[in-house]
Amino acid sequence: MEDTPRILIIDDEEVVLDSCAQILEGGDCSVATATDGATGLRLVEEFRPDLVFVDLKMPGMSGFEALGRIQASDPTVVTVVITGYATVSSAVEAMKKGAYDFLPKPFTPDELRLVARRGLEKRRLALETIALRREKEMLREHFAAVVSHELKAPLNAVQQNLFALSQELSDRLTEGQRGRFERMRSRVDDLLRLIQTWLRGISADVGKIREGFRPVSVASVMSRAVETVQPHATRKDVETVVSAEAPLSLVEGDEGTLTESLVNLLENAVKYSHVGGKVRVHVEEREERVLISVSDTGVGIPREDLPFIFGDFYTGKGSQAAERGHGLGLAISRRIVEAHHGTLSAESEPGRGSTFLICLPALKAGLRDRPPGETAVPADLQKGGATG
Amino acid sequence: MSQRKRLLIVDDDPDFVDGIRSILEAAGYEVDAAYNPKDGFEALQARPCDLLLLDIMMGRGAEGIMFARKMRRDPRLREVPVLIITGIREQIAFLFPGQPVHPHFVPVDELVEKPVEPAFLLEKVSALMQAAEARKAKTQ
Repeated sequence: MEDTPRILIIDDEEVVLDSCAQILEGGDCSVATATDGATGLRLVEEFRPDLVFVDLKMPGMSGFEALGRIQASDPTVVTVVITGYATVSSAVEAMKKGAYDFLPKPFTPDELRLVARRGLEKRRLALETIALRREKEMLREHFAAVVSHELKAPLNAVQQNLFALSQELSDRLTEGQRGRFERMRSRVDDLLRLIQTWLRGISADVGKIREGFRPVSVASVMSRAVETVQPHATRKDVETVVSAEAPLSLVEGDEGTLTESLVNLLENAVKYSHVGGKVRVHVEEREERVLISVSDTGVGIPREDLPFIFGDFYTGKGSQAAERGHGLGLAISRRIVEAHHGTLSAESEPGRGSTFLICLPALKAGLRDRPPGETAVPADLQKGGATG
Repeated sequence: MSQRKRLLIVDDDPDFVDGIRSILEAAGYEVDAAYNPKDGFEALQARPCDLLLLDIMMGRGAEGIMFARKMRRDPRLREVPVLIITGIREQIAFLFPGQPVHPHFVPVDELVEKPVEPAFLLEKVSALMQAAEARKAKTQ
């Protein structure tokens, strides 16, 4: 509050209003008064008080109703109820409805000043919290925007020129040179994707995901996710085995981010698998929950690390240093799954492998997913890409 | 092509422009470039091109969007097809909440993300110009 704090008093007894106003005006704040609830509410709009005293017992609109409507119009306004009949129960009820404090009649000037001071302090803190939260949000978004432009722009320029050069030189490049061009492009690509993922971790706003929810087929999420990681799996000679237990309900969600969360799990499973290993993806329905599990037979996660794997920037300290991740995949996956009112959990046995389980509420209303025989998982993917 | 098609690139990153320009020139297009929105708009007004390749994040923000809106208000430039090339898809979505990936700035436009594969770029460029010509033929 940069300017002097504003206090509004709503009480049907003019004597009370006058004396309260006199007591408070000495203390460097401006005071407005209203003799009934309707006038009081109008003043809340016009006077924009920081603190409102409301008498609970008034003719016309009751103090309780006035209280509720003040809260509804601006929840940051601090309200204190004046209880003419000093019963604890009405004060408690008012506090339940959002009043910050209560003042039993009769009260001394000092009691009034004390309650007012505390109320104004509460208001100041509430406003400060809101301002800080907003600032944090803006910093976050601004940071994401700056990073995305300043980091990605040079890489985009490099990549674009690699595209152009490898085309222009295509008839002059030896096989080895062509391979090096290819690797440069893929390294830049990895870097661009890494930046994208980091930004995603910073700006993934679960609230926004929910705006686009619609019935989604888990089978199609699975097939898209498997398709995405297949090249990685094939390169590493890891077999992906997809299975589904019919019948399956649809889930309420966002297909894009659900796929993203599953891709993260699958990428991890492949990453921490041994060459020639197997990654199993299975979906089934149990007690109105759709369960998607991703299991690998890889290095596993040490027991003491399990509680931390869903935190930002956790990376496995596996033997395969070359396959270290960016440490955000699981954190993002969990945020996405939780935005879908689901849970993501993990079990692991070091040296034997890990299983991640996504658990999503099934959509009722008889919406059935396609039976697994008709899923979009191509036959060659179901068998896995062990030929690569 | 009876006459070489003329393209204009407006992008504040000269290195990126070079990477696009060489692909387009190799495909037989005449290519001009401007490295800020002001020069770009002047070049466009002096001599409208057959297709504009437009960056979004230039200068102090999304100036490419102002550029496209200004074009739309100019009857002479309204019909020029625009291919938006941007590195920041999510920001476009952020600027136009609730709309598809990109709003339609001008009657024929498309959006591609940086970096763009040569074959994909050429395909988009020629498709946009064909669509523009077809529309022109219809109105004549």
